[in-house]
Amino acid sequence: MALTVLYDPACGLCRRVQEWLTELPKLVELTLVPIKSDEARRRFPGLNHELTSNDLTVISDQGAVYFGPKAWLMVLWALSGYREWSYRLSSPELLTTTRRVVSMISQNRYQISRIAGLSR
Amino acid sequence: MTIEITTYLIYLAISIALTIWVAHTLHKNGRIFLVDVFHGNEPLADSVNHLLVVGFYLINFGYVSLALKLGYEVANAKEGIEALSVKVGMVLIVLGGMHFFNLFIFSRMRRRATLRNSPPPVMPDAFTAVREA
Repeated sequence: MALTVLYDPACGLCRRVQEWLTELPKLVELTLVPIKSDEARRRFPGLNHELTSNDLTVISDQGAVYFGPKAWLMVLWALSGYREWSYRLSSPELLTTTRRVVSMISQNRYQISRIAGLSR
Repeated sequence: MTIEITTYLIYLAISIALTIWVAHTLHKNGRIFLVDVFHGNEPLADSVNHLLVVGFYLINFGYVSLALKLGYEVANAKEGIEALSVKVGMVLIVLGGMHFFNLFIFSRMRRRATLRNSPPPVMPDAFTAVREA
């Protein structure tokens, strides 16, 4: 399996995460594509690209779409050092908390970037 | 033969026998773990198993050899047995430590191999058409 990650290039935090992802060892191939780019539209003609700016989107080479918290879990799953965490965080006991935390971060990503000094 | 020499010889006999026994157990029972880790690739599993046992022997015999010297006089059989029990006890603890370390390596290798082939943690939200890159 190979995964495509649609990230928001306008958000400093997302750019930082994207740089971090390219450096980490992976168990499956990860391609990072900016949201609403020509590349994204060309690869996924059937996707509602307006929705991709709301939260992180991950799409497998078979066309399976993972959105929001699920997308983050899929990114963790793709990384050699974090696959166990993807199972831990998606367990029934933790999934609600994971969803809440991830949504909170995604919705406030511009503010977080500004506070952390990551926005250009 | 003095009591010291007798103590040393008994110490060596017990330590060597124990090391061989533990190594043998490890070799015999670790194999099935390794075959699973290497997805049924038996030659590779046997090779890694053998290499692990060689390392096990080297470390344990190294320790047995280094720990041989008593450093004090043994006057009678009672003191000889006491000295022996301390030495053999240390060898047993080192063997136990090594054995658990080996088990830890086996289980970690197995977990890694299982994780490498494990399915995604969540179900997809939707499906979309994908055009080749």
